[in-house]
Parts: sequence; structure tokens; C-alpha cells
Amino acid sequence: MDPIFEGFKKAYEEGNGYDLSMTLSPVDPEDEPDRLYKFFRSTNFSQVKKDFQYRILYDSATPFKLPAEEGNGWVEVYLAYWKAVGDILNAENAPKSNAKASWTKVYDSWKEMTNALIRGYTNCGFEAWTVPCLYVAGKYMRIFAIKADEATGASTGSANNFQDDFNPEAEKNEKLEDAARQLNRIFQICLSDRAPLEESRKWGIYNIINLLFKTYFKLNSISLSKNILKAIQAYRGDMPTLDAFPKAHQVTFKYYVGVIYFLEENYEESEKHLTEAWQMCHKDAIRNKELILTYLIPCHLLTTHTLPTLALLSPYPRLQELFLPLSLCIKKGDLSGFDAALVAGEDEFVKRRIYLTLERGRDIALRNLLRKVFIAGGFEEAKDANTPPVRRTRIPVAEFGAAISLGSNETMDSDEVECLLANMIYKNLMKGYIARERGIVVLSKGGAFPGTGV
Amino acid sequence: MYSTMNAPWATVPPPPGTNGQYGYQQNLNPPAYHPVQVRQGFNPSPLHYNPMVQQQHLQPHPPPPPAEAPAPRKKIDWPQPVRNYVQRSFEPQNLLVDVPRAEMEVKLKATITSATDNNTLETIDWDNLPLPQQMIRLERAQAALSWQQESVNLHMGGNGQINNREVNLKKRKSQEIAGDEESKSTPPWRATNNRNALEDRITFDKRQQPFHDDAHKGTSKSQKNLEKRQKRFDGGYKSTYKPSPSPEPTSGPVVGTCQVLEKQYFRLTSAPNPSQVRPEPILRQTLDLLKKKWKKEGNYGYICDQFKSMRQDLTVQRIKNEFTVTVYEIHARIALEKGDLGEYNQCQTQLRALYAQKLGGNPVEFKAYRILYFIHTSNRTALNDVLADLTTAEKEEKAIKHALDVRSALALGNYHRFFRLYLDTPNMGAYLMDMFVVRERLAALSNICKAYKPDVKLRFITEELGFESDGDAAQFICDHNGQHLLEEKEDELRFISGKAGQIFEAAKTQAFRKVDIKGQI
Repeated sequence: MDPIFEGFKKAYEEGNGYDLSMTLSPVDPEDEPDRLYKFFRSTNFSQVKKDFQYRILYDSATPFKLPAEEGNGWVEVYLAYWKAVGDILNAENAPKSNAKASWTKVYDSWKEMTNALIRGYTNCGFEAWTVPCLYVAGKYMRIFAIKADEATGASTGSANNFQDDFNPEAEKNEKLEDAARQLNRIFQICLSDRAPLEESRKWGIYNIINLLFKTYFKLNSISLSKNILKAIQAYRGDMPTLDAFPKAHQVTFKYYVGVIYFLEENYEESEKHLTEAWQMCHKDAIRNKELILTYLIPCHLLTTHTLPTLALLSPYPRLQELFLPLSLCIKKGDLSGFDAALVAGEDEFVKRRIYLTLERGRDIALRNLLRKVFIAGGFEEAKDANTPPVRRTRIPVAEFGAAISLGSNETMDSDEVECLLANMIYKNLMKGYIARERGIVVLSKGGAFPGTGV
Repeated sequence: MYSTMNAPWATVPPPPGTNGQYGYQQNLNPPAYHPVQVRQGFNPSPLHYNPMVQQQHLQPHPPPPPAEAPAPRKKIDWPQPVRNYVQRSFEPQNLLVDVPRAEMEVKLKATITSATDNNTLETIDWDNLPLPQQMIRLERAQAALSWQQESVNLHMGGNGQINNREVNLKKRKSQEIAGDEESKSTPPWRATNNRNALEDRITFDKRQQPFHDDAHKGTSKSQKNLEKRQKRFDGGYKSTYKPSPSPEPTSGPVVGTCQVLEKQYFRLTSAPNPSQVRPEPILRQTLDLLKKKWKKEGNYGYICDQFKSMRQDLTVQRIKNEFTVTVYEIHARIALEKGDLGEYNQCQTQLRALYAQKLGGNPVEFKAYRILYFIHTSNRTALNDVLADLTTAEKEEKAIKHALDVRSALALGNYHRFFRLYLDTPNMGAYLMDMFVVRERLAALSNICKAYKPDVKLRFITEELGFESDGDAAQFICDHNGQHLLEEKEDELRFISGKAGQIFEAAKTQAFRKVDIKGQI
């Protein structure tokens, strides 16, 4: 157990929170593959408290003196950690010994440790620089919860008599929901810390928020994520602004906020946040960039009607697969090709929740197609020699209809063609009006297709 | 107290097949008091009880004191379990309030006698055999059950002078006989596993009793409750004879005994009372009745209430089978027809879970409804999830394909296709679509107003927007303050789209504001 306590003392001396949090890690560090095992075996249940107390409080070799309350708080934390390590070792070795791995137990004992930590902050006066311990606690709590839920699978619900109907999803994500509640508690203690800014726990808040986002996303409850945003808004007077926090926290936060807005179809806000995340992202964080782009590209498509260039997509083969076919069809105005590409990638899109957004890309494809019809219509006779030739602006609906039916076997009903045209006009992708009696579309002379140069 | 309790039964002839000696007539005399030496040790006490083996006829009066045991009796070495059984029967804490000691002794004697006669002394599981007082209760329960079926109100007859408490007692009694207890729930330590032992006991009991019970369910339930009570005394649990106010968690599903078909819905605030819960066969009859009533009367308030109570009964009894699916489906459809989205949504949620267990029903139909419902509530998250869940086969099913087409038509603003689909909706989806047809019409009108100039025929509006007639279309326009846009030109009504301005645009924005799930009372 000494390496752990050496680490503890060193970190305390230096006031290095991150190193301190390393002593509470449930994963063996790379240079010490057996650390957890040795730690657990170095003492037993009856001795453990005394051993820890000695190490933390009474060891004369320690260069500093911990106040009793704080020291005891840490003893509790390490006690709980020790128990949790025991459970973790059991669960990890279970496949070898053919015992049932009980990740639920691991989760519960890790939760105990987290509780001890929280109590440390509220009751024992842990200092704010130790906040990275909360990060570690929270991160693994989430991970263990997911493992525990997977292990329990879907057990039948326990008796709950006072409902009129069955509760279909009572226990599917029980542990993860519990983890979310714990994370919320941590969030609260960070948020409500009244200490002056240099010694405040508020500095940990964005990391916890990001953990919360990840948890809520996994639980598919986006609305809860919005609650957090509201909470931050409410407290913003007291808190340092986002750009004061470490970059890593900022990027992750902006990414999630961007996705939240995206899912609500608030594409402008979404684009703002995603772009900022994109620009701030570390140039080597390929996976993160890929994730950001996955949402930024559809977003951009809808807001600016522009498509990603090949150059942009080149480092991301996965994204290329996803978006290139669609992009090409949109550029060409190939409606049937677009539909085919959408269907082909449907599963992937739906999984990432971008299907509904990409669907709207069809409008752009249609606009491009109609634009081609317009251009193909040629020019009208110039009124006089000085004015530049004007394109033909009175276009029979039938021509549009023909274009739309290109590539598909059936001719579209003329009423439906008109409907699509009406939509174009309504969405300002086309300027003009339909004269139904005469069966033509009268396009505006100056800019029939806004934003496209015609 | 006994006499007043038993008086009503005395007026009713015992159920057919009952052996008179077990009957109730005997208890018009107060029980004789005779001293019985309390067993102090494990030695068999000859003073305690002498079985009268050869007697087939038991006297209607309590057996004479031990000292007066009749002479002829076989010398039988009673096995220890039998002795224990006897001892338990006489233990003070096992004596039941409503089973007089005399009666119990008679029963005990009879039990042992017949066991001896059948040479089953060794084979009977005496340790688990219900005590005589329990058997008596059981018989009463069966009698009461068949009696109760005939006339529910009988027990209240002619009791003017009986004070409230006794009336309650009596009511509770009959309820209780039908399978309930002072406390309305199973004590927490009653493990469900015990029921297996119960089953054994039930079959054994049938051998004991010369009459066979028609109400098999009644037997098992009353048996279970007798057993409950027994255990209660065993464990030294002091239960006062009054309804227990606090609910206790049940470890197993309730088994209902109510035979009445119709039942009003009340939200549960404590554990359910089995005598008010209808078992499955009754519920099936209820369903038939409700179907007929719905067709005949069409009273939605009543039907909804009845269905909710049926759902409640199914839930507390944990009945999950095709019947459950049917009940929920029918309720959902009725709710849809009446536009009761809250109730529909509840049923839909349950159906989803039930379909996941492959219990049959119409999962495709209801999946399509789900899609339409999410379109109505603009629930993007849920729509995404549903899309992710669909299998390729499902996407080809007519109802689901229709719903998906509706979705994509709306996504692109293709009102033309949308209204064509609307007029051709499979199953009852049209009721769901009705919910959002108005806002889509407003959206379409906004489009038309912006795109078409100077005007269009009213007929065009009618056809494009799925109205049943020009009149309906005109009505719609007028409803939104558009009357001035309707003009007659050349003998037909036209809609002056060019002058509409922002009327429909504003109306549309209003209509599209967030739709919430209709609140549930």
C-alpha cells in the first residue's frame, strides 16, 4: 500500500490534484501493473483502518501535518477505495475463476467511495485543489454503472403494487440513472461552493458537467441536459466564464451543447457551438474532430446550403463514406441518386441521429435541379442591345416536372410538382410565383435562385 | 359473539354434500369448558386427548373430558408427528377466535380418525397439515363462497339491531371468508415459495373433505389466507382485529376473487384487496360485456372507467398474456376514436412492453400509430429512436409504410402527398392524423398564399388539402378570418391567395407551438 500513500503525500506536498487523483484510480497504471492487487493484499479487513490511519495521520515521516478532521476524511475515502478495489479485483478475475462477475457490487462500493469523497468536501474541509479526485470518482462511476447494467440485463421488475399499469422500463438503466444522480450531487457541491475563486471547487464544474452530459446522452434523456444548461445560466454571475477553464473542458462542453441544439433543430445555435469546438480542438485529436464534424456538416448544410469539400473530408475516411455520396447527388441535383444514397446510409445516419436533418438536403438537391432547368432554358431576346441578356423567366411547370421525373420511372403528378415548387418559393430557395391557370412559373428577374448567382 | 356471527348461516342450508357433522348447527350452545392439561414436555400425555377410533359418528356436542373416554378403542401408538399436530392444535396462540374450541376438537378427532382408518397415519405430512381450526375455516369459506355467489346482499339482511362494529365484522367476515384478512395484504415474510406447499395441501384436503368444491380458485385462495393467518399466530405476530391502515409490500401477485363483472376505477393507494380484484375468467366476461355496451351505448366516460379498472386488475395480478394485449388494444382504439390522447398514450406504452414479450396482438398496427403520434407531438428524439428500431420487414408493412411516408412528406413540406396519404390511412390512424391535420392545412395554405398568384380555384384548395367538399374548405378559410379572400369569379369561387398576406402564416406559427402530451387526470 505504500506506493499509494507515497503518492498521496507527495501530491499533498505539492498541492497537485491530478497526481492525488491518480492514487484513487481503479485502473492499474502502466508502470505498475499489479498495483491494485498489491494494495488490496497488503492489509486485511480488520487491520485496514488502523493501517491507513497510521499512514495518513500518524506517520512521523510525513513532512506535513494534516488537520485531524481532514485526515480522517481521507482515511474514510481510502477505506472505501480499498473495499472497492477488492470488489474490482473479484469482478475482473471472475471470468478466470468462473465465478459470476458482480459489477453491481463494484458499482455500489465505488459509490460508497464517492460518497466518502463528497462528505470530505462538505464536512471535512477537503481543499479545492483536490477536486480532480472527483473527476476520477465520477468518470469510473459512470463506467461501472454501465457495466453493472449490462450484467444485470433486463431482470423482471419487482412488485410495485400501486400502479395501474406495468412499468415497462423500470430497471433497464437503473445503475446508470443512479450514477446520474450521484454526479448531480457532485455538480451541486461544485456549483454551490462559496469559497473565494482561487480556492473554489467551481473549477471542477465543467468536467463534471461533461460527465453528466455523457451520462444523459447514454440514457437518451436530452431534456435533463437542458436543465444543467439552465442551472449554469442561473449561476453565471458567480462563475468564471467558460474560456477561463482548461481547453479540454471547453471543447467537450461546446461539443455537447452543440449536439443538444442540433437535436432540437436549433441549427444556428448548434452551428455556433460546434464551430467553436472545431476550431479549438487539438489538431491531433482526430476522433474528437470526427465527432464534431459528424454534426457540423449536416448543420452547415441546412444553414448555409453548402457542402463539405473533399479537402475537408480527406483525413476522415468514415465521414467520407457517410457524406460524399450524398454531397455529390446534391450538387448535381440528382434526386433519385439522393434518395438512393439516403436509404443506403440510413442505418448509420439514424444511429447518429442525423437522418432527419440530412433528409432536408433534398430541398437543396431539388433547388439545384430546378436551377439547371432555368439555366437550360436559355436566354430571352434582349430588349435592346445595351442591357445584358436576361434568362427566360416564364417556365412551364411541365418542364420542371420532366426534370423531377428524370431518373425515376414514374412521372410526377402535375399537382405534386406544383406543390414542390410552392415549397421552394415558400422557403426562399426560389423567387417567383406560380400562375396555375397558365401552367407556368414566373421567376423573378433579379435572382431567381438566391445565393447561387443566378 | 359466535351466535350472532353464525346466525345467518344457520338459516342457509349447508352446501350440498356437506357432512352434517361438520356443520354449523351445533354451535348454538356455548362451548363447554373443560380443563385440559397443558403439555409441559414432549412426552405423549394420555390425559390430553383420546382419539375415538372406532367412532364414525361424532357427537354434535364437544367431546367429553378425557377422563370419560369411551371404552372401545384400539391401542395405537401415535407417531410423534401426530402428537405434535395435536399439541399444536391446542396451543393457545393457535386457537382461532372464530373457531370454537369444541368444534376444533371435533375436527381434530375426525382428522385423526380418518387417517387411522385409511392407514395414512404415517404418510400424512402432519407438520404441514392445516390445523383443525384452519380446516373449519376453509369449509366455511367454501360454503360462504358459493353462498356469496348467489346473493351478495344476504349477509346484511335483517341486522338492524346489530351495532356498527359487528356489522363491519360481519362484512369483513364474509369478505374475509372469500379470501381476505384484517390486513389486506400478505405479510412480508410470506415467501411465494410457500405456495407450492399449499398446492400439495389442497389436493390432500380434497381427500379429507367428502364434498368437492366447485370454486377451485376459492379453495386455493382461502386456503392461502388461512395459512397466512396461521403463520401470523405462529410468529407471535400480534394483530388486532381491525383493518390495518398501512400498506405492506407484497412479495407476489394478488390473486383476485371478485366475481362481479363491472367495477368502477379507483386509483390504488395501498395494496389491493383480493376480494375486489377480478380473476381472469371474470375479466374475459367483462370484456365481452363492455364490447356490447360500447356498441350499444357509446358512453365513453363509462367505458373508459371500466377499462381502467380492468387494466388495474390485470396489473395487480400480473396477468400478462394475449388477453392483456387485447384489453389494452381495444381500450387504445376506443380512446383514439374519441380523441383521448392521454389514455391512448398510456395504453400504447404498455402495449410496447407487451409486444416485446411476443404475446401476439397487432404490433404493426400500433407501431404505425406510434409513429403518427410522435409526428403529432413533434418528438424528434422518439422519432429517431423508432426509426432506429424498425426492421426492414416492418418497413414494408402497409401501416408502417404509410406512417413513414407521412413523416417524410411532412419533413419536406409535400402537402400534396400528405393529404393524399391522409385520405387513405389504414386502420385507425386517421384519428391520430386528425390531431395535426389542422396545423398542416395552415402550413399548406401559407405555402400556397406565398407561391400562387393572383388566385386559385377553391376546388384546388379542396382537393389539395384533403377537404371533403368545397364547403368544408370555405369553412376552414373563414374560421381563420379569411372570408374576404373568397370571391366569385366567372361562376366559381376563388381563393385570392395574393391578398392573404400573413394571415395564415401567423395562424400556422400559432398552431405549431409545442404540442404536449394531453394531461392525465
